[in-house]
Amino acid sequence: MDEVTLDERVQVWGSRLAAGLPSGGLRRPRAGAEQLMMRWLIGDPRLRAALFRFVDVRPACHSRSELVRHLSELLEEAGGRERFGAGEGPVDGEHSGVARRLARLTGRRALELPTAAAAALGVASMAHRFIAGEDAEAAAGELRSLWEHGRCVTLDLLGEATLTEGEGELYAERCTQTLRTLAQLGAAWQPAPMLDHDGLGPLPRANLSVKVSALTPHLRANAPRRALEAARERLLALLRLARELDAHLHVDMESLDTRESITELFLELLARDEFVAGPSAGIVLQAYLTDSEEQLERLLAWVEGNPRGAPFTVRLVKGAYWDHEVVLAAQHGWRTPVFTDRRACDRHYEHLTRRLLDARAGGLALRPAIASHNLRSLAHALAYADALRLEPEAVELQVLRGLGDDTAAAINACGRRVRVYCPVGDLVAGMAYLVRRLLENTSNDSFLAALGSGADLRLLLERP
Amino acid sequence: MTAHATFRNEPALELRREPVRAQALRALAELRTKLPLRIGSASGAAWGADGAGGGGGGELRSHNPADPAELIAVAPAGTAADARAAVTRADAALTAWASLEASVRVRTLQRAAGLLRERRLELAALEVLEAGKPWPEADADVCEAIDFLEYYALGAAALAQGVALLQVPGERNTLRYHPRGVHAVIAPWNFPLAIPAGMVSAALVTGNTVVFKPAEQTPACGHALVQALHAAGVPEDAVVLLTGSDEPARELVAHPLVHGIAFTGSCAAGQHIIRAAAEPHPGQRHVKRVIAEMGGKNCIIVDADADLDDAVPAIVKSAFGFAGQKCSAAARVLVCEEIAEPLSERLAGAIAALRVGPAEDFASDLSAVIDAEAVTRIGAFLEGAEHAPRVQAQVPAGTDGHYVPPTMFVDLPSSSRIVREEVFGPVLSCERVTSVEAAVRIVQEGDFGLTGGLFTRSPRTIEYVSRLGIVGNLYVNREITGAMVGRQPFGGGRLSGTGPKAGGPDYLLSFVEARSVSENTVRHGLVI
Ligand SMILES: Cc1cc2nc3c(=O)[nH]c(=O)nc-3n(C[C@H](O)[C@H](O)[C@H](O)COP(=O)(O)OP(=O)(O)OC[C@H]3O[C@@H](n4cnc5c(N)ncnc54)[C@H](O)[C@@H]3O)c2cc1C
Repeated sequence: MDEVTLDERVQVWGSRLAAGLPSGGLRRPRAGAEQLMMRWLIGDPRLRAALFRFVDVRPACHSRSELVRHLSELLEEAGGRERFGAGEGPVDGEHSGVARRLARLTGRRALELPTAAAAALGVASMAHRFIAGEDAEAAAGELRSLWEHGRCVTLDLLGEATLTEGEGELYAERCTQTLRTLAQLGAAWQPAPMLDHDGLGPLPRANLSVKVSALTPHLRANAPRRALEAARERLLALLRLARELDAHLHVDMESLDTRESITELFLELLARDEFVAGPSAGIVLQAYLTDSEEQLERLLAWVEGNPRGAPFTVRLVKGAYWDHEVVLAAQHGWRTPVFTDRRACDRHYEHLTRRLLDARAGGLALRPAIASHNLRSLAHALAYADALRLEPEAVELQVLRGLGDDTAAAINACGRRVRVYCPVGDLVAGMAYLVRRLLENTSNDSFLAALGSGADLRLLLERP
Repeated sequence: MTAHATFRNEPALELRREPVRAQALRALAELRTKLPLRIGSASGAAWGADGAGGGGGGELRSHNPADPAELIAVAPAGTAADARAAVTRADAALTAWASLEASVRVRTLQRAAGLLRERRLELAALEVLEAGKPWPEADADVCEAIDFLEYYALGAAALAQGVALLQVPGERNTLRYHPRGVHAVIAPWNFPLAIPAGMVSAALVTGNTVVFKPAEQTPACGHALVQALHAAGVPEDAVVLLTGSDEPARELVAHPLVHGIAFTGSCAAGQHIIRAAAEPHPGQRHVKRVIAEMGGKNCIIVDADADLDDAVPAIVKSAFGFAGQKCSAAARVLVCEEIAEPLSERLAGAIAALRVGPAEDFASDLSAVIDAEAVTRIGAFLEGAEHAPRVQAQVPAGTDGHYVPPTMFVDLPSSSRIVREEVFGPVLSCERVTSVEAAVRIVQEGDFGLTGGLFTRSPRTIEYVSRLGIVGNLYVNREITGAMVGRQPFGGGRLSGTGPKAGGPDYLLSFVEARSVSENTVRHGLVI
């Protein structure tokens, strides 16, 4: 199909998805306060920085007064209290007026306690938008409710960084527990054909996303094989359990420093004879990496060379570590490994989408999962799948809980399968996650930010 | 010095990419075929039949710290006589080198940087073998050497412009910077290219000549630097390599023709040099200037609100990178008591996960220490704290490598040697404090003031500690080693050194003397 015809179909799909957004439109008023807050954040980089740093430090504050102290310091800084004495501070125009007003409020004694409580509450409730609960058990109701609304899930276990063997062990235990809980929970859910099968066979209801960096403290960018030895036993045990419980095990992709370790380890283990029949498993491909096409070819070649009973899932994302990759490269003088042009990144995403869908249409035992909140990216995948005459179940769309709730509803409305990535964990871990998601969601380059601030749908659906 | 605006740090090798690692390993294998390297004699005499230098001092050998049976280089063990001969040569070369246009020296140094750049992998491999420096750090050292040459070249070009002075009618006032004379550069083995490259190039580019004595453990690295300078066009006698141990160094310091001494090394040696240099010698008509970078007992302060996910890896890196053999390394953690337990617990676990092995293995987190003497010295510290509970990582078994296990002590009494003295090895003391203020007082009461760290998420605490200026290099929420030229000018106060910041805008001023000229432009009552 030529590009113009494809693009026409993308527009059709885009409009259908947009029409499926709750309240049928783009400018659905969010809770007033939250909307105001988002607007402030998007338009006010200093306030944004201050609030993110507050959310970041929030769990480390051991008392209310600590909390107030941090909040007012951060706001003061953003509001432009000169840091290095008169005359040397940045010029006033760069300061945040909102932050200064807030700083004055938090600085007043009488207001200290209520402000702290509000700040604590606000942050916690924001975190709850993104996090389904402390653990799978606690999230049980939420998971069932998602299922009943036509959404399947994958769980992600938030936690502190793994710096010791003990922490790796603990994470592996949490994974084990979660797989068992999920298998139990899933067994009680009502049948849902769109969520339970695709043309390649049954889809496990229990689905866990694992971070290899949490399994071992031995990930080393310069020595990828070191993590292989260190994490092999733990990941093996999880694969065996997933096979036994008939669950899906997905490994997330993290910063580029760890890609080689994660890929090598996972593919090496999956290729073992004992896993020929299962479990269902998958990996992530990050389109923002300029060499991601090579990585995709490597994955496809592996799928082809290692026929397994359970199809292999490739979750296509843009990538969540964009700033980190840019900063690391700049500090070391390396070529930036990610696209730095937003449109180039989106174009590449579409290119890889087509490559994945082509492979599936060509008969490979591959399950493409298109994970994005960008209606253009999603619409493109759906339009291309149609053009290849793939059955509707063949493409899975994925979103993040909290960020992609509206998107998920729109996908539901169009009758396609959507999987919601649900982080679970305690407040400390939740905060760090919240900071990352908020940063992403309020950056100038984000589709959701553009959508939220009322950009023209036609522009948003334009070919990148 | 606006010329610095064009400066860019040399990019590090991207060792996370497999082909780059493969290239590095090929360079190492290639270097191995040439071992042992034979280094010519200091006094210019041909390599003697007895393998000795011209002064008859016998020879010096360097070995791979991870495998002492592997001989890396053989060099003459310079004597006092060799040192005198070297100074005489450098003195004779002074006038010609000093009277060149500054731009000629600047270009020469830039050429030398280019030559080092061409040999980057080979030089990093040499550091891996001769200093036992793990790859990323060996590579960083080569980059830093290149950075110093480039940065000081730009600085010298700016310095040559002089400085604008106040002018009034009838006066023409100018200020120019002049070279001072022969400089002795006495360098350590832990940054075997970068530190000497900094000291030697600063002296050379400003018009001085140099006698350079590398550490006895790393003569081949020192030789590589001099080779590049000569190949770039620095006259043979304007920079003279003098390999050897203490004897020639003492002679250099005492020599009446030496005008400046640039030294990096231990505090004891530094203080000895400062004393010896102050002693005038017959025929000496100047005061020697000593630039000394000495030890550190560097503290990382961890506030109660710190993010341990960041603090722990940064502390581990600061304390145990290159087995703690950096003057910038972290020796003490001062942690606020609210989070002392979780911090020491996580640190302990992170240390237990460290891998100790040969520097050439990319999987090693830290390597052997430099030599057997270092093993004994560090061992004495550990034995002194015999009964104190400790956390250690494993060291490789069944090798002759100079391995010392990375070790942490928690809450040692403040009288312990490990708390008070510089260990210069992979040993960390973790102590609890009641507040950041209390930690600051501990830092201020210490003998040294080189680097320091602060982990906090409070802007006011950052400002409070920054303003106090308690150490030469304060690092906030990051590791405290790895200063970059032009980005983190390096050097400390108190007993850590005499001052000028290496890799900073002021460093070159220590190698020159300002001379001002005021010309009367009035003749017969007219300004002409
Ligand atoms: C179910 C699910 C699972 C996920 N799992 C992973 C995972 O394992 N690993 C991972 O890394 N990410 C993962 N992500 C996160 C994902 O990468 C981010 O949420 C995503 O990048 C946001 O992209 P978008 O398509 O929703 O939004 P868009 O707004 O269309 O894209 C934003 C993205 O574009 C990229 N970008 C931003 N600025 C620029 C620029 N200037 N130039 C070029 N590109 C730019 C960034 O990747 C940014 O995140 C997952 C996402 C989902 C929905």
